[in-house]
Order: sequence, then structure tokens, then C-alpha cells
Amino acid sequence: MKPSSLRHLFSLDHKLIAKQFLFSGLLFLFVGGILAMMIRWQWAFPGSPVPLLGPLLLRGSGGAISPATYTTIFTMHGLIMIFFAITPILIGGFGTYCIPLLIGARSLAFPFLSAASFWTFALSLVLVVLSFFGELGGASAGWTSYPPLSTRIGTPGGGQTLMTAAIFITGLSTVMGGINQVTTVIRCRAPGMTYLRMPLTVWGLWLTAILNVLFVPVLCAAAFLLLLDRVSGTQFFVAGASAVNGGGDPILFQHLFWIFGHPEVYILILPAWGMVGDLLSFFSRKPASWYRGTVYAMCAVTMLSALVYGHHMFVSGMSPLLGQGFMLLTLIISVPAEVMFLNWLRTLWRGSIHLRSPMLFALGTIFVFGVGGLSGTYLGATTTDVYLHDTLFVVGHFHLTMAAASFLGSLAAIHFWFPKMFGRLMDERLARAHFAITLVLITLVFSGQLVAGFAGQGRRLFDPYQYDFLRHLRPLNRWTSIGAFLLFGGQLLFVYNFFHSLYAGELAGPNPWRVGTLEWTVASPPPIHNFDVVPTVLRGPHELADPQVLTALGRDWIGQAEALPGEASASEPGAANPVLA
Amino acid sequence: MPHDASVDGWRIDQLLHSTSAFVLVLFLVMLGWMLLSVLRHHERQKAHFDRGDSPRGIAAVLGVSAALFLTMDGHLFVGSVRAWRDVFGNFAAAEKRPGAVRIEVNAHQWAWTARYAGPDGRFNTSDDIVTLGEIVVPQGAPVIFQLVSTDVIHGFNVPNLRVKMDAVPGMVTQVWLEAKETGEFEIACAQHCGINHYKMKGKLIVLPRDDWEQWAAAASANSASAYDESDSEGHWGWDWAAHAKLR
Repeated sequence: MKPSSLRHLFSLDHKLIAKQFLFSGLLFLFVGGILAMMIRWQWAFPGSPVPLLGPLLLRGSGGAISPATYTTIFTMHGLIMIFFAITPILIGGFGTYCIPLLIGARSLAFPFLSAASFWTFALSLVLVVLSFFGELGGASAGWTSYPPLSTRIGTPGGGQTLMTAAIFITGLSTVMGGINQVTTVIRCRAPGMTYLRMPLTVWGLWLTAILNVLFVPVLCAAAFLLLLDRVSGTQFFVAGASAVNGGGDPILFQHLFWIFGHPEVYILILPAWGMVGDLLSFFSRKPASWYRGTVYAMCAVTMLSALVYGHHMFVSGMSPLLGQGFMLLTLIISVPAEVMFLNWLRTLWRGSIHLRSPMLFALGTIFVFGVGGLSGTYLGATTTDVYLHDTLFVVGHFHLTMAAASFLGSLAAIHFWFPKMFGRLMDERLARAHFAITLVLITLVFSGQLVAGFAGQGRRLFDPYQYDFLRHLRPLNRWTSIGAFLLFGGQLLFVYNFFHSLYAGELAGPNPWRVGTLEWTVASPPPIHNFDVVPTVLRGPHELADPQVLTALGRDWIGQAEALPGEASASEPGAANPVLA
Repeated sequence: MPHDASVDGWRIDQLLHSTSAFVLVLFLVMLGWMLLSVLRHHERQKAHFDRGDSPRGIAAVLGVSAALFLTMDGHLFVGSVRAWRDVFGNFAAAEKRPGAVRIEVNAHQWAWTARYAGPDGRFNTSDDIVTLGEIVVPQGAPVIFQLVSTDVIHGFNVPNLRVKMDAVPGMVTQVWLEAKETGEFEIACAQHCGINHYKMKGKLIVLPRDDWEQWAAAASANSASAYDESDSEGHWGWDWAAHAKLR
């Protein structure tokens, strides 16, 4: 390798590190997707050999999935999608890419830390891959890794140990990235970029980073203690009646896990919320409706996110009083979510809606999030949760809110910032076809899970049809699976479009979408230092369709740092940077 | 949903269905609004400059959110708290009712073992009835289950009776039900507990009261002959009273 390309590989440029995160995330999204297809195959045709993949990966069992392999598949699907696909795409990728560019900074606050974050993450990826080949099998305790199942008592395999270590290490990477992003937003905003002039994207990413810094260490602690239980004979989480005589407490792990785990679902969706808030405004060509309300709502969700985790443990023997408290807090979190949602809907109203690909994916995001959010109502209450707990209804719910919404949100982000990242536009017609296929099928697939769960189908069942009361669900599951296979196949359109546009897309120019946030004032792709002159910000991010601007400039948008004729362009630095606008 | 064979399951079903009505209406409003916006305000239309932060706009957003919270969430909250207070969490009343049956369940990879106190009313004695995989209960009487696990976490789940509770190593959890109908119902494990989680099936057999009494008497007489004083593993039962004030 030439020294120059080595320097390239270990670059400190946030834009390049972001691409490294993005590409690793997309690669593992593909791996996680393959695993999902295998799960769907098992539910549709239990015990029959998996076509294409079976002969390749499952030679030992004649191409069919065995119960042991199945437990590894769903465990790894969950862990990979959450920690090694969505997290690197939205937070590692777009967080690292967008934050400096959107706030007018020349880099992240700690360039070396962001590179360290990526290479720590890369190390955890190696462990993930190795874990598949662990002695006595891969990780198989479910993504939640509840002990005692996740200790050596339930899963003696080396894969589980490697995955526990991988989670710990990727947690370190996320905390490093989080500290960097939090600091960057607080310290590196351009003059005039007050908190309430930041694009909603930055708000979403910043709140995410704050949650990461606060709660991922809790996950790291839980993973570390679990690792000690596995390798050095401690008994933090091993309790037992007769068979195992530990002094620990398995429920303690659940508390630690969900104190992290519930903020985590907001960690995964807040970036998409922010982006969607901006995109709906940009492509409706009017300001985001009640911007401050959306910001406050996102802050409120962030604060409440850690106070509701108990609803994951309603049937774990929790005190009913505690259950009621968590139920109330959980239902309260619906209020800021509704405020934000209504603001999105009001942004659309009386706009001039340009249905370009980023807008389509943004609309898709709020649609699946709406369906998923509504389905969550049932799960927040103790009584209704008793019936639905641990069924596919829960699985469908969190796939709609967390998987489908952040997946479509990621696609919106990719289609929107692709021209900035690579200087070329993606093909609009292919993108529209890809969008239509994806939205219809993703809604059907996860709604199919909701229906199966409402009918009582438990999650993580190798063969649900062992139970008489579930036997009639086989056709439903089979159709849902067929939808999932088509959904997976439809992503080929995206893969083709992505790589083809990388080399042959139409040249984008600095501002193809005609919007005013700072990243669109620089070349596409931006120079290594981002801004030749650090801009002085004069206004908020969504100044669209302002009649004054229309008369003065003859266009419906104005840059955040662009002065109207007669407006003072650079006020004194001291006065231009109050904390709030 | 599987057929409800319990006396109180309707409380859960009713809440589920009334919530569904709310959810369906909101879904249609959301979909309608999105479609209408996209169709009416397409790109050939001029955008209307509006920041949406007029006092009226804000009041509308907050008002709608608050109204939704008070109706939909309020309904669910009140319904849940009531059902829990009166029925599902009210073990004291269930224990007091005549004919109440107490059963200790030991969940383990990958089966359910149940223990009845027998005629002496005390657990872990020679007249205990111990069954594997099948739990026989009388119709029309509260049946209180205390659950433990001796390996990993399991989930005691009887969908037809709308009952679900985890069995956690190191602690005792409890749940109760009352069957309205006789018949055989499947017990499923709700919590991933290892490779054969999907096979951790049991059967809940509901008999008319008289038949159940007969069964219990016969089973208890049999169990004395199977009792082995020296088999310490077999004495996994516990003193019920010690756990009377469970969470």
C-alpha cells in the first residue's frame, strides 16, 4: 500500500470517517438482512432446506436451519442490525458527516477521537464475524442477552463470549463518538449559529449523542459484568434455586439493560426524526411548522426516554405499583411524540410538495413511524401488555418504529446528502421505483408480524406450529415471508443505483435541492477544511417561501448565512452568539 | 386471538379492542392528511409562507395532543389500573375465596413441573401431587400459581386464559387465573430459554370441580408411593406462607 493511501485510510477528516462508518454499516445491514431472510424462511417453510444460502452456509444440517442455528440467527440479526448497521449508518455516518458541515465547523472537536471511534468499531466488527465461528456455536441468547441464559449456564459457546466483548467494545466506540459530537455542537458552532437556528437534523443527532454518552456506559457496564460472569466465574447475574447456586440477580441485568435499552430506541430514531423534520420543510418549500415546538418535543422525549424502561419488564415479577408508574410515564411520552408528529403534518399543509426521492423516503418514514407508534399504545399499559408481551406484536411494533422508520430515514438521508458526499445525484427514476417497492412491502411485512402477534404467536419460536393455537397462522406467515423476500430483492435497485450513481450520476453542483443550510454553500464534495471562510449565521434553517426573500432575490430560499440586500451581514461576534436566539 | 376460556380475560380483550378503535381512527386521519396534502399541495402550487407558530397553531397542536392523551391514553391507563387492582393483581381476594387452588410451578429447560400441596395443605410433604407437563385445575375457582425457575428465565404463558408471567431463577413470582370453561389448553413458554424453547409446551387441563376433586384425591394417594425421602432434588417445593406477600 502506498503511503498516501494509508494516510487516506487512517484519515482524520470527518467526512472520510463518516464514509467509512457508512460503508461498514451498509455492509452489515446486508448481513443482518440475510439473517432476517433466513428467519422468514424458517417461519414460512420450517425445516426445509434454505435455497441458495443453505448449501453454502448450512452444510452440516443438509441446508436446513437447525434449532441451535436458528437461535444464533435471530440473536445475530438483532445485534447486528442495532449495533452494527443502524448505529454506524445514522450516528457514525451521518452524525460524523453532517454535524460539522451543518453548524459551520471545519471539523469535529476532536478529529483523532473520531478516527479512534471508527477503528474501535472496526475491531468490534472483527469480533462479530469471528463469533459466528465460535467453539460450541455462535451467540444465541437473543439480542437482549438475558442472564442466566447468556451466562455459561445457558450458552457455553465461545460465540456468546465474543459477542458480549463486541458489544462492550462497540459501546466504547459509540461513547467516543458521542463525546465528540456533543462537544462539537456545544463548542464549534459558527458565529450566529444559535441553538435555535440549528437544523433539526443537528438537534436529532445532538440529542442522540447526549443519550449515547449517558446510557451506553450503562450497557458497557452490564456487558462487562456479564463477560466476567462468563469468563472468570463471578456471579453478578447468576441466581438460582436448586440447579445453580449463585448469589447474583438476573433481574439486575434487565434493569441495567433497559435503562440503556429504552433510550437506545430513541437513539436509533432521533437522528431520523430530525432529518425528517428538515426534509419535510425543504421539499414542501415552506418553513417547518412550529420549529421550536418540535425542538422542545424532541428534548422532552430525550429526557423521558430513560424513565419509561420498566415497560419492558411488566411480566418479570415487577411490583404492580412500579408497573403503574412506568405505565403512566410511558403513556406520557406519547404527548411530545404527538406534538412532533402534528408539526410534521402541518408542515405539509399548504406547501408546494416536491416529491423528489428524499421527500418520498421522509414521508415513508413518518408513515411507518406513525403505524408503529400507534401499535405501541397497547404495549405501554400493564393489562394489555400481559397478552401481547413476548409475541410477534412486540416484534412488529419495534420493527416499524425502529427498523422500518430508521431504515427509511437512512435512505432519505442517503438520497439527500449523496450529492454532497459524492458530488453526483442518484437516479431519480430508480429511486422512486425502489421507494414504492420498499414502502409497500416493509409496511406489509411488519404489519403481518403485528397481526400474527395479535393472534398470539410468540417470538423466537423455531417452529411456531408446534402449538395448535398457532397452526392456522402458517399461511399468514408464509405470505409475510414472501413479502420479505421481495423486499430484500427490491433493495438490489438501491444497491445498483448507489454504485452506478457513484461513478456515472449527474453532476450535482453545490446546491441541487435549493435549500439554505450551510452544507449546501460549499462545493460537492466539500473541500477538506469544509469552509474557506467560516460563515456568520443570520437566520434559521428553513427560510423558504418568504415573500421578502422572493422579492429581493427572486427565489424561494435563502442561505442561513446569506444577507438580504441592506441587511447587516456580519454583526459583531460578541453580540451574534447569544446562547438562545 | 385465541378463544378466551377465562372468567376475567374479557377485561384485557375489551381494552385491546377499544384501543384498536382509537388507533384505527388515528391511522385513517394520519393517512388521509398525508394523502390529501400530497395531492392538493403538489409542486405546481405555491407554498404558503407560514411558520406555524401562531398562538392559535400552537394551541391547536397542544390541544389535540392533550385531548388524545386524556382520551386514548387515559382510557387505557384507568382501565389497566382498575383491572390490575380489582383482578389480576388482587391475590389477597383470590386466596380468600373458598375452593381456591394453590400450585407451585418449577420451570426448567424445557418443561413445566407443577406441585400441589395435597390434603395436608403443606408443600414439600409426602402427599404432594407432582405433575410434569400437565397441570390439572378445577373450573370456576381461582387457581394461584407461584413460579420459580431452576436454570434460566422462562415465561409461563396460557394464551387461552390470558395469563403470562416470567419464572425467574432466584425469586418467586405469582399469577392467578380462573377458568370459565373446561377443556385442554396449551401452556407456552414466552421467554427465550435456549435451543428447545419452541418445544417447551405444557397442557392446562380444566376439569369440572367434582372431577377435579376425584383426580386430586387419586393423584395424592399415588404420590405417597412415589415419594422418596432421600431425593433432595425432588423436594424443590417451598413453604407457601413464606411467600404470601409477594410482589
